[in-house]
Amino acid sequence: MEMLMHEIMMAFALGLLGAVVFSAIGLVSGTDETATLAPLTMLVVLLGAPPAGVLTFFLAGAVAKHMTHAVPTALLGIPGDTVATALLGDANYLRKLGVPHIALRKMITGGAVAALIAVPLSVLFAVLLAPFGGVIKQFAPWVFLCAALAIAYFSAGRWASVLTLVPFVVVIVALQALTGHYGVKLSVSYFLGIAVAPLIASLFSLLAPSEREHMRRNEYRVFSLAPDVKGWSGYFPNPFKVINRRQVKVTAMAASVSSATFVFSPVAMTVIMGEVIGARIKQAYDRLTTVITARNGVTESTYIAETLIPLMAFGLPLSPVAAGPAAPLFNAPPRFWVDNASGQVNNLHNLLSTWDFLGYGMLAVIVAILVAYPFTMNFAHGAAAFVVRKISHEAVIATFIGLVLVIGIWEGGLLGLLVIVTVGLLGGFLARFLGFNTGVQFMGYYTAVLSVPAIIALAG
Amino acid sequence: MQQPLSPPKKQNLYEVWGDTIDGRDLVLSIGIGAVVSLGAYFGAHYLLQPIVESAQMAKTYAMLVGVLGCLGAGVISAKLFPPKRDVQEHAADPAFRAQVVADLLKEYGSLGRLEDLSDEVIAELRELELYDLFREGQAREEQAHLNGGRP
Repeated sequence: MEMLMHEIMMAFALGLLGAVVFSAIGLVSGTDETATLAPLTMLVVLLGAPPAGVLTFFLAGAVAKHMTHAVPTALLGIPGDTVATALLGDANYLRKLGVPHIALRKMITGGAVAALIAVPLSVLFAVLLAPFGGVIKQFAPWVFLCAALAIAYFSAGRWASVLTLVPFVVVIVALQALTGHYGVKLSVSYFLGIAVAPLIASLFSLLAPSEREHMRRNEYRVFSLAPDVKGWSGYFPNPFKVINRRQVKVTAMAASVSSATFVFSPVAMTVIMGEVIGARIKQAYDRLTTVITARNGVTESTYIAETLIPLMAFGLPLSPVAAGPAAPLFNAPPRFWVDNASGQVNNLHNLLSTWDFLGYGMLAVIVAILVAYPFTMNFAHGAAAFVVRKISHEAVIATFIGLVLVIGIWEGGLLGLLVIVTVGLLGGFLARFLGFNTGVQFMGYYTAVLSVPAIIALAG
Repeated sequence: MQQPLSPPKKQNLYEVWGDTIDGRDLVLSIGIGAVVSLGAYFGAHYLLQPIVESAQMAKTYAMLVGVLGCLGAGVISAKLFPPKRDVQEHAADPAFRAQVVADLLKEYGSLGRLEDLSDEVIAELRELELYDLFREGQAREEQAHLNGGRP
């Protein structure tokens, strides 16, 4: 009993830490989920946090980040992170109508509603899929290959992305052979390289004279910060007064559907669900506000479902979120690992029970909502003003450069650093010119690690 | 309307990774990022190695200090280099709002009918003083329809 209490307290404390840290990170535009969630979760795993605490840290962080990312998106018209780009269009219409506070409140309320629904539903779907877990594990290398091809085809690059998988996988295999030659085995360096790829590609472009001329600007970039409007009294506004009954219903439906389709990328699901819902609502204002509510709900539900379902049912990172931001929950050597040859896993999959996932998942979501929801409701304007006036883009870049150096050198010394830069430069340009996006790149990494050995074995 | 903030002549502005930076400030902050974060990492590693029994854990703690170092580098750079942004704080222009309604009509094909809305959405629109805006937009759309698509 005392053991259990201790475990719950640890899980609560780590969930609270995740919620506070990622509420702050969410306010800063351009802080990609993978580049921030993956290394910090890795750190928590390796520092020896109990399995339940690892789960609550990650989930509370993801949920809180996808609430506070609404602040720059709604008030400044700049996407808070990668999935927030899908919300920018609707947010901009509402901002120009002079009601950015409505966009903000609807977004975070939609997020809260969807997050609460997504946990039990994901657990349910995972339980339904679990009987197939054995088969999936046995054929894991081929499942990953098929998933990689499917995700590539559904990316912006279509067939270009499918074909680009081949050279991209070859590069990863080659890099692994190179580092293996010196006895270095890397994983988080690849993820970080893929996540910061756009930054690395921009910095290299800046050094090339002709590209630099394209990037030159004569004026400061203009940001119009929406004025502050507070429409309620007290600290914790009632969510059901912020969004109406139909919006609750539509958000719940979108969250349910997007929990089941856990193999698609969160950005794609957010766009698609918004289109489907929007097509059914005729009046323009109703359509805008309902779509933005449901869309932010989908950013939460996809993250929760894409983490929990593969983790519980298979223990293998079989979704774009599991393969990217949530990767350390599956694979954080030496503590957590997935064995490519035998399909054996040792990670949260076998360390937590179904009830643990449900209970700690709900705990994480509730803690994140209690931290991020009232904070965003009350201090959004001040927070947005502080970030845009005090935190220069140079400072954000300095932080990410520091992160690349520390993580690269920590994992593999100079080789780790070289891998981040190589993967980042290649990935950045492939994404920019071919639409070979981050989700496909993560799957490319897994294809190299899991499928290539099986293909070679088959070819004899 | 505030006056636009003009950058000083000596700045070399570029758009990198979605926002504007100054070339010299960027180089310096990358330097700060590298020195502070790696300094924190190697410093912590050097100090912790004799204290922590497992070499693996010493390295992990050093990584934690290194990550805090990254944050420190961000804070130092933010203090030294101000943002290259022109932040204007103002409410949306009413004339501008009619344009937004026109854009919405173009994107959606129709503004729909206010009569189809539930009472709570109508109340929300009235409270935000947007009801008349959409009322006029809808009237204009219906008029255009009667004229056989001609505005």
